[in-house]
Amino acid sequence: MHSGNPFTGRFVIEPKPQNVWGLTHAVWFFAMGLGGGLYLNRLLFGIDFGEALGMPAAVVLGMTLVIVSGLILVADLGRPIRAPRAFYNIRRSWISVGAVAHFTFLVLEAVLLLPYLTIAESQPFAGVFWAPGTTAALVLSWASAVPAFVIIVYPGLVLACSPSIPFWNTTLIPLQFLGSALAGGAAIAYLFGASRAPAIVVALGAVLATLGFTVAHIFNARYQRGAALTALAQVLRGALAPHFVWGNLILGLVLPSAALLLHLTGILVAASLPWTGALILLGSFLAKYAVIKAGHYAPLF
Amino acid sequence: MPRWGLVLDLQRCIGCYSCTVACRVENQTPAGVWFTPVYEKEIGTYPQVRRMFLPTLCNHCQDALCIKACPTGAISKRPDGIVLVSQDVCCGSRACIAACPYGAMHFYSDWQGDFEGHLTPFEELARDRYQPGTALKCTLCVHRIDQGILRPACVETCPTECRIFGDLDDPESAPNKLITGRKGLALRPEAGTDPSVRYVL
Repeated sequence: MHSGNPFTGRFVIEPKPQNVWGLTHAVWFFAMGLGGGLYLNRLLFGIDFGEALGMPAAVVLGMTLVIVSGLILVADLGRPIRAPRAFYNIRRSWISVGAVAHFTFLVLEAVLLLPYLTIAESQPFAGVFWAPGTTAALVLSWASAVPAFVIIVYPGLVLACSPSIPFWNTTLIPLQFLGSALAGGAAIAYLFGASRAPAIVVALGAVLATLGFTVAHIFNARYQRGAALTALAQVLRGALAPHFVWGNLILGLVLPSAALLLHLTGILVAASLPWTGALILLGSFLAKYAVIKAGHYAPLF
Repeated sequence: MPRWGLVLDLQRCIGCYSCTVACRVENQTPAGVWFTPVYEKEIGTYPQVRRMFLPTLCNHCQDALCIKACPTGAISKRPDGIVLVSQDVCCGSRACIAACPYGAMHFYSDWQGDFEGHLTPFEELARDRYQPGTALKCTLCVHRIDQGILRPACVETCPTECRIFGDLDDPESAPNKLITGRKGLALRPEAGTDPSVRYVL
């Protein structure tokens, strides 16, 4: 109805979709989580898949993913040249905490990989005091676990600290991110041929935990009002249902859980593990995309 | 030091949007960026239905979530309670937009005029006022307040005097008397932001 007033209907009090974050943030969260997950899986559970350029492949790939996600984050800024300023507000901003963790992780990884560096068939840094197998290397490896953990969970904490968007405003999101990062790290190992039992047990545990957190998130939103319900309707029945229900819940969590259980019991052969890994990765990405896109601002009253 | 704030009397607001337009003119905001929108809602059930208007602006919170979310420290609170974004420091992360419970933060990507194909003389003048790729918000017309004699443009222009501006720390100020006399309410109190904008019904 044309009322003659150009403002009529423009500022209606209702849940409004957020439109500042989207696909690039989903890619950033996904890649950052995988990078941290690969590192933690190798350190905590010994999940590795050979070497790349003479270095541990899990560490090299994890570092690459973290670099890529950092570049995506910087490119997405309104003023990318001011990215170094993101280190300034570390006492209050989760993005600042993440930026510092990101930088620390990359520096520590570079230091850890230095002894492996091969130039003209020689390893000039092989004799450094933190060479593989030394106590210093062990200390550095565990020190890296802290920023690796932070880069997995901080994107979730950025979302969780948004009271204006009730669907995001829950600690279940960083927990989901942690679960899917560990599951994703193991899934990548499957894609590169790892099939040992620890990788399967870790992935199964992480996938089941993520499934539990996701279901809890759904119920948490179900018992709220307004914007959270609007977002929930969108991920369960609306435009994001193919991503969230089919892509994340069924293909990314339920199906891989069943497949991993069958692998553990020996019913499924190892050759099908890469497919399971691919499904986990697909679900992990789609979950992040759906949750970000479903965010709706709560009405003012 | 005063704590500048506003009380908005919802019984007086008639939804004329003159505050919205006055703010746009005063602050020369880009197309689509409104610092002082007036929201509307139909309340009640037929036949007892009426249209309600909710004039808004940045709440200049004492415990502002945008300040906590900003990774660069570009958002700061002055001693008089006015929360400002530094255009020279903001990196455009948009974290403040997600964090603000009042929808008061805006992202300015690039200048676009209101009319396709050309800029009006007003827009030509306004184009260089803000830096693209940064966050924008209401400044409570700090440039007017700092002169010591002027109130924010939205307050000056409101024909029904629905916006009452003053020092919230002064018990004798007009907004404070309204808050105590008519039980001034904050929007979204669950956010715990201690806003400097209150509403009376």
